[in-house]
Amino acid sequence: MESSDTIKGRFPTLLSDVPSTNKNETVILLNDKSKLKTVVGEIKNHFDILFMLMVVDKPPKVFEMNYVFTNYSKNDILTLRVNIDRNKPSVDSISNLLGSADWEEREVYDMFGISFKGHKDLRRILLPEDWPGRPLRKDFQVTDEVRNWTGLDLKF
Amino acid sequence: MENENMNKITINIGPVHPSTHGVLKFVVEIDQDTIKKVEPEIGFVHRGVEKMAEMKYFNSFMPIADKLDYISALNWEVLYATTIENALGITVPPRAVYIRTLMCEMQRMMSHLLFLAHVGEDLGNTTLFMWGFRERELLMDLTEEVSGGRLAPMYVSIGGLYYDLPEGFSEKLLSTLSVIESKVKNEYRAMSYENGLFKMRTVGVGIISREQILKYGITGPNIRASGIKRDLRKDEPYLAYDKIDFDVVTEKAGDAYARFMVRVNEILESIRMIRQVIKDMPTGDVKVKVPWIFKIPPKYTFVRQETPRGEAAMYLVTNDDQKPYRLKIRAPSFYTLQAVKELFVGSKVADLVAILGSLDPVPGEIDR
Repeated sequence: MESSDTIKGRFPTLLSDVPSTNKNETVILLNDKSKLKTVVGEIKNHFDILFMLMVVDKPPKVFEMNYVFTNYSKNDILTLRVNIDRNKPSVDSISNLLGSADWEEREVYDMFGISFKGHKDLRRILLPEDWPGRPLRKDFQVTDEVRNWTGLDLKF
Repeated sequence: MENENMNKITINIGPVHPSTHGVLKFVVEIDQDTIKKVEPEIGFVHRGVEKMAEMKYFNSFMPIADKLDYISALNWEVLYATTIENALGITVPPRAVYIRTLMCEMQRMMSHLLFLAHVGEDLGNTTLFMWGFRERELLMDLTEEVSGGRLAPMYVSIGGLYYDLPEGFSEKLLSTLSVIESKVKNEYRAMSYENGLFKMRTVGVGIISREQILKYGITGPNIRASGIKRDLRKDEPYLAYDKIDFDVVTEKAGDAYARFMVRVNEILESIRMIRQVIKDMPTGDVKVKVPWIFKIPPKYTFVRQETPRGEAAMYLVTNDDQKPYRLKIRAPSFYTLQAVKELFVGSKVADLVAILGSLDPVPGEIDR
């Protein structure tokens, strides 16, 4: 909890508190996505790892990015929340700051189509390159075409 | 210029059985016998679990949670059930908590025994492979007796457990535990961890440094083998772990051998824990009534627990609906596997399987 107060103290105009109901968790909202790398650079001084990156699709306007950071020596959890524009989804990559963001960002790109500026190897990770659409977006319909997709051209 | 390229060959290892861990693929660039570059390819068993969660009622997701990591199904069942219970604000009866602890530790032993077996197989030690499966079978039979299932037991329900333990179960379990304890301490010692050939293949191979652990966010037995004392069962106790006495197993070296030893000692530690759980087992109900279809108010729920492969977590977003709005699953193997990009480089091709085996990845949870 102390370390998240320090981080908030460093960027009083950028960060604001969001109430959290989870044990040990602090949620802070970053209101300017262009400052993401600066803030994550500061978080890195207090937290060991990027635990997960959860994206919530909130149509029609917003993709909500939740960067969860944890420590090995302490139990506190920090969730950094950033809202980005759903129509032009793009945000800075933090993969050169934290190695575990590499595959996480590729997965988010794969599932939501959010592009990460500065990522060295941004391509699909779980789905094939020619898969139609971004499955975890709320407007993605699971149709028969999707269910029976094989990736093979089976016309004779 | 030409000579440099002539020596380098790119080979595909996988997607079927790069070792005995499931469908993974590595594109490996080798110079004679030394690995220069690795690119892991995953996604062969991607089933769209997170999308399926958004399409199903909370209860109907349980069989899928079961099959995320198909060799530690009960741990994932407990994790999913706890997430929903926390979101609903339900408290589970004490007997259910204790039985869940017992089943989690049984599953951990099964998972670690399978790990020992597969490391044996990877190194050509077929005896260890057979033995690991033999001891695991004893526990599988007990799981079948409890739940009717073996790999995917479907025993944990939201609000507790589907049914109580069968009669005479604890006596059977205790006698099985003493069999496994003596096998692991005596037979396994001779065949693996005090065996010269086994040590030659694993000591000093694939050392994970502290920097790599922080970089890739590795958790679980793999970091305890590198000397980091981190175990959610101890540090952030859930279930009945704060009421039983156990040690967090660590090793210093951080190589494949240390990772093997951590698992061996964790099996012995789990045996100790199960004995205490059986001794202190409370009586009473094993479930609270929860309707089959229910709604959860708008909420963010985050739960993390220690599975045999590390810190697994679920982040559930609900929106006053009968289905999750978003369910993000953190699979520990997903993070561990990223590290092979650094771990394999500079080692021999034959060591690749030893290192991969010692990391214990499961494609089912990596691909989701």
